[in-house]
Amino acid sequence: MSTIYDQYETVIGLEIHIQLNTNSKAFCGDDAHFGGAPNTHVSAISLGHPGTLPRLNAQQIKSAIKLGLALGSEINSVNTFDRKNYFYADLPKGYQITQDNQPFCRGGSVMVKTINGERAIRTHHIHMEEDAGKSIHDLDPNHSFIDLNRAGVPLLEIVTEPDLRSGEEVEAYMLAMRQLVRYLDISDGNMDEGSMRCDVNISVRKKGETTFGERCEVKNVNSMRFAKRAIQYEVKRQIDLIESGGKVRQQTLNFDPETGVTSPLRDKEDAHDYRYFPEPDLPPVHLSNEQIELWKSELPALPKELYAKFTKEHQLSDYDATILTEERPVAVFYQKLAELNGNYKAVANLMINKIRPYIQEQKIHIQEFPVPVNSLSDFIQLIVDGKVASAMAYQRIFPKLIETPNETPLSIAEQLHLIQSADEDFLMTLVKEVIEKNPQKVAAYQKGKKGLIGFFMGEIMRASKGKADPKATNQLLGELLRK
Amino acid sequence: MKIDKSLISRIEHLARLQLSDTERTQIQGDLNNILEMVSKLDELNTDGIEPLVYMSDTVNSFRPDEVTNQVERSDALKNAPDSNEQFFKVPRVM
Repeated sequence: MSTIYDQYETVIGLEIHIQLNTNSKAFCGDDAHFGGAPNTHVSAISLGHPGTLPRLNAQQIKSAIKLGLALGSEINSVNTFDRKNYFYADLPKGYQITQDNQPFCRGGSVMVKTINGERAIRTHHIHMEEDAGKSIHDLDPNHSFIDLNRAGVPLLEIVTEPDLRSGEEVEAYMLAMRQLVRYLDISDGNMDEGSMRCDVNISVRKKGETTFGERCEVKNVNSMRFAKRAIQYEVKRQIDLIESGGKVRQQTLNFDPETGVTSPLRDKEDAHDYRYFPEPDLPPVHLSNEQIELWKSELPALPKELYAKFTKEHQLSDYDATILTEERPVAVFYQKLAELNGNYKAVANLMINKIRPYIQEQKIHIQEFPVPVNSLSDFIQLIVDGKVASAMAYQRIFPKLIETPNETPLSIAEQLHLIQSADEDFLMTLVKEVIEKNPQKVAAYQKGKKGLIGFFMGEIMRASKGKADPKATNQLLGELLRK
Repeated sequence: MKIDKSLISRIEHLARLQLSDTERTQIQGDLNNILEMVSKLDELNTDGIEPLVYMSDTVNSFRPDEVTNQVERSDALKNAPDSNEQFFKVPRVM
């Protein structure tokens, strides 16, 4: 049933903050890692003491440029910093160092899979800034507590064009971005630890309209689930408002995950006047083409490139390629095994059905997987060559291989008596037995119920405990049944 | 540019300050004097001259990504008007 809501289109743009995984902070040598006892990752600079000077962390520049290059952005050759002035207790200097005029990257895009197919979501720009400290409001009735460990931690802010059309697309975009920053190893992309947060700009318009409606900004959405819920709520609120004759006012909103409701920040807080001006304490950053080209040549293979390789060269399905490229270490492991063995589909099956679930259950890194790659390749070869039935290999040899990784898959198969046999006498006995036991089914088969072949094969396989070579058995069975 | 009462009250809000009427009048006078002094510069013709932001020609002044120069928490908290063993304490902001 069509409702009034279906007449509207949602328009969404994101501002995503990515916390970089540098060792030290953006402009001073404090430890930048998450956690740590309150106010232990601090220094005269992050505490905002007078007379201190910031100094740029070289690593964060490289991280920003890597992301820009991966998105196909244009890299700015002359970059400067600015001060954004506002008063808040967790911002000791009274201003945030950010980039207002000359961001490191402009343009570029991310491909996102949506229900209407794959679409490029364009990037407006990427700039660098520092994080603020943390205010804690629930430890004391009369005071807020301030922890400055996070003050000065380097962030990249990715600002998208208003290209997204639903909560599902926002989720897909966030997932793609998280995957990318992990591939590039510039951030852990952990939303629950605040390494990735987003502000969501939402407006609605009647379908077919070309101008944008008035937008509202929902601040500090720190999980994809919340993002979807906040969008759902906000879209309905805006449409209801318009339909009842009202007008959407440009506003900054807060999303409360407990109630699922957005509410405006107080008007005074909303009346921002950041008085940006150039940061004189940080000299400009000049990037040469040679430098940029060098960093470009160091980029790892990106998810979309590996996906293309796996689907085209390796002929894997969309499903297989998507799973194998989700995380870079898995993709790298698959590639190694695939190059060694060459049976791409069989390698993909083993990765997806056995190796990946195992490392997830054990919560280990794939590099800690106990079985060496060449042994895994031998294991796959046993199946491909028809020496062992794949079900038997998966259920019995694989667990044993993990227990005793130094034994060869072949010797394990022999010990467990799982080597398939194409020996005619052995198979003949089995086939005859099953035919004698099922005279009615044999008659049905001979009258044309050819599907029963599966039943006979199953019975024989069971009786042989997986040892009967399926191809030879099938042939023999066919011959005897036709008699 | 002239500093008037409404601008003073806006700056007060942005800096989260609360001034008395006497202070307001005094600051209004001070700020106007400063602006007047600086406005002397307007007499110069600066057409075609790039704004000067940096006092040196240095570019690309980087430090390696290493943890260094942190201070002890007790020292960090020492100069704060109010604190406990772990945190800075400020008037409630929510």
